[in-house]
Amino acid sequence: MFKEFKSIFNLNWIYIFILLIIFWIGEINLYSAAGGSLDPWASNQLIRFLFFLPLFFLVIMLEPKFIFNFAEIFLILVLIGLITTLIFGYTGMGATRWIRIAGFNLQVSEFTKIALVISMAKYFHKLNAEKTIGLFKSILPLIVSVIFFVLVAIQPDLGTAIIILALGLVVIFYAGIKLIYPLISIGIILSISPILWTFLKPYQQNRIQIFLNPDLDPLGRGYHIIQSKIAIGSGGLKGNGFLEGSQSSLDFLPEKETDFVFAIFSEQFGFTGSILLISLFFIMFLIPVLKTFKLTQAFNKIILFVLSFKIFFEFLINISMTIGILPVVGVALPFMSYGGSSLLSNLIICALLLNFMSINEKKRMFP
Amino acid sequence: MEKNKTSEDSIKILNRRSFIIIIVGAILSFIVSLRLFSLQVINFNFYKKKSVENKLSIKLTPPLRGDIYDSKKNLIAGSSSLYEFAVFKNLSKDHFQEIKKLDSLINLNLNFEEISKQLKKYNEYSGFSLSRASWDQIVEFEKNKFLFNSIKIIESKKRFYPYQNFSQIIGYMGQPTQSSELYPKGVFHLEKSYEKHLKGTPGKIFSEVNAKGKTIREISIEKSIKGNDLDLTLDLSLQNYAQSQLPRNKKGSIVVISVSDGSILSMNSNPTFDAQIFEDRENNKIQDLLNDDQKPLFNRAFSGFYPPGSVFKPISALVGLQRNLIDPQKEVFCKGHSSLGDRNYYCWKKKGHGKVNLKKAIKESCDVYFYELAKKTNIDHIASLSSNLGLNKEYDIGLSNIGKGLVPSKKWKKAYLEESWYQGETLITCIGQGYNQTSPLQLATLYSAILNGGKYPIPKLDKNTPTKFTGKLLNNEHQKIIVNSLNAVVQEPRGTAHKLSISNPEFVKIGGKTGTSQVVRIKESEREDDQYKSKEIDERFKDHSVFVGYAPYDKPKYIASVIIENGGSGSAVAAPIAHKILDFAFKNNV
Repeated sequence: MFKEFKSIFNLNWIYIFILLIIFWIGEINLYSAAGGSLDPWASNQLIRFLFFLPLFFLVIMLEPKFIFNFAEIFLILVLIGLITTLIFGYTGMGATRWIRIAGFNLQVSEFTKIALVISMAKYFHKLNAEKTIGLFKSILPLIVSVIFFVLVAIQPDLGTAIIILALGLVVIFYAGIKLIYPLISIGIILSISPILWTFLKPYQQNRIQIFLNPDLDPLGRGYHIIQSKIAIGSGGLKGNGFLEGSQSSLDFLPEKETDFVFAIFSEQFGFTGSILLISLFFIMFLIPVLKTFKLTQAFNKIILFVLSFKIFFEFLINISMTIGILPVVGVALPFMSYGGSSLLSNLIICALLLNFMSINEKKRMFP
Repeated sequence: MEKNKTSEDSIKILNRRSFIIIIVGAILSFIVSLRLFSLQVINFNFYKKKSVENKLSIKLTPPLRGDIYDSKKNLIAGSSSLYEFAVFKNLSKDHFQEIKKLDSLINLNLNFEEISKQLKKYNEYSGFSLSRASWDQIVEFEKNKFLFNSIKIIESKKRFYPYQNFSQIIGYMGQPTQSSELYPKGVFHLEKSYEKHLKGTPGKIFSEVNAKGKTIREISIEKSIKGNDLDLTLDLSLQNYAQSQLPRNKKGSIVVISVSDGSILSMNSNPTFDAQIFEDRENNKIQDLLNDDQKPLFNRAFSGFYPPGSVFKPISALVGLQRNLIDPQKEVFCKGHSSLGDRNYYCWKKKGHGKVNLKKAIKESCDVYFYELAKKTNIDHIASLSSNLGLNKEYDIGLSNIGKGLVPSKKWKKAYLEESWYQGETLITCIGQGYNQTSPLQLATLYSAILNGGKYPIPKLDKNTPTKFTGKLLNNEHQKIIVNSLNAVVQEPRGTAHKLSISNPEFVKIGGKTGTSQVVRIKESEREDDQYKSKEIDERFKDHSVFVGYAPYDKPKYIASVIIENGGSGSAVAAPIAHKILDFAFKNNV
């Protein structure tokens, strides 16, 4: 089940270093979001991080074969978890997203992303295609992705659901579906989007309308976007400086510790800081991706590529929300937004990435 | 084992797809960076401004209003700070419940009906002042502060008027009526007309607030700037003395002006009121005041218009002299009346004055002399000289309801009464009766014009306005003849006010003219008669007693114009008062 202990020395330490830097920036940011106080967010987040570290190393040490073998089990577990959430879940802010496990509020949808990617990687690995994949063989993963999308979307948690569906689609695309199908799908989606609109909940429609024109409701639903843009815009080229962000320290920015945490960062550190942060996340994305080019096993490649993409993708979606180029759908900023489930799932992803990056493919791994 | 390996082709596809996704990711990153560049670099100033606006709150602090002083720097209107309970409508929906709560907690005896009426039209962001807060009340309120969201204690500025006798000139303050007005403002007389001069500039406290409007820290404070002070020409001691000389039970007015520069030294009207009741919001007293049929708010000195009576005669005389209608030495025989057509016009002295020249006509106030003059004159000449000498004018000295009065002319009568002028009306007008309407302030100015030789200083109340002269120069000879005659009224035997120099020889020597302003037509012979006052006539129908005098008679410095409504003859009532006041002004060198 576990690798030999000495394999820990083969880890990609640069990746770990970047991860720590990003986490540390997140800590500093939560500290400033509380107006220069560890309480309540920065300290809690650090405690969680330390608490999750053993699990982090446990995942690093897992045999890839074990992960391969249990891929479907993981998927069934999150399926049960999601159904349990829907039935017994803890409701907060109009949505049922959490279940209580051993005193923790767990957001199962966060782990769905990992399980879905792993099981789809196994599926395509076993498919062992010679060339591009036809529609028929992509149907099953597509259906599974849509099932999970729906299960999360009805919580309702549209942001996470979209990420789940997007990851499923990225796996299918990456695994080599014929290019014609994605192009046709995009065409169909664009043409039926007016019908999809009617399926959205009124608050989701509102969010999109207000995204298109925040001034429709400057003190209500447009308030988030307007205040976030003011915070970021007033940061300027160099930023207001550490702890000098007035928008955030004076409580003008709602949800500043979760979805809008980037605004806090950008107000303090400006355009320069923001570009540096984007660069860090991009490098973090590229390190596992570059490793994939040296690998020859589809399972390994898919896991490394798509899970690495997942972190970067969520990062881009989140900051696009705060700067008003995407509607506010509720996607956390990896390692920077306050929240246990997001931190845990991203740490597990990083552990998986570190695990798979240290793979020596000369050994036979999978059946 | 080999077949479990991913095929070479498949690896190639995976690697190719990697590139596509990486490129898409890079493009998305680039778009996000461009957007950040637009927000943070290109539109930085816009968002910075928004951010500053978000967090800044400006609180205004009331300025002290400028003080008002008399000519000797005695304070007659000042300002002080005080604390008040104020309700802010925007802070709580239940603000009216809180007002009731406050009233039951601290016995303020608030009038809820009135408050709710006024609150409705009141700006919701500026506090509506409920009541003054004494120290004990503030302590009690602070103990129970948690009960009140919309009620706060605010500092405000209050006007105080130490001398009631100035109320009819200074005026008073009122509550703001428009939402753009933050503080009480002057609504009457000088407080109103000098509002801009007196009000000052509010201070500003810039503070940083959070999203809930709570102050985090004060950034900067601009101190309020006190309004400008106002120095008046009035003299505190003279104003108070003159008021004491007005008979308590009679309506009347006294105006004292300086001959040299037109400064108004005192200006009184009886009955008067206390402006402080408006500041203290003593609503019962205010109601009584507004309902008082004696009209204490009405200042008779410049809003009260009466027929001038005989004090008008110098104008008629001057017209006669200017137009060569009379020879000052030539005598007219007064047999007690004069006829025009089939009507007799009576002199106040039934048995007649006998032979009368101009000087005697003024000194003894012979009506017949002026009737004869009037027969030769044109009413429009009278009107035009009246206007040249300060009548028929509204002086712009900052007082509310200052009137213009009336000097009749042919044109005026045609326009307003749609009748042509009758010669008989000229006769009446020339002795100051009829349509003539002048205020005590105008009569004082008229005598100033005569004493100054035609070019006279416009009356003023603001000590710092430069003296301005107006009018047309009179012939020096004519002016001397008139002034000599006016001196004789008091200084020579048989003058209508000669009694003054006999009964108070130690007083400053004055000149002047008595007058009796007719309320109803009574027997002509009874006018100007000292015995008149003893007659049993209904108080309301008694004539107004008028006197305009100046002192010292040989080198005039002060002019006093006195009217006592229903006082009777000028010589009996108004003249002694004027003499005392002129003596006071002269002896105290006001």
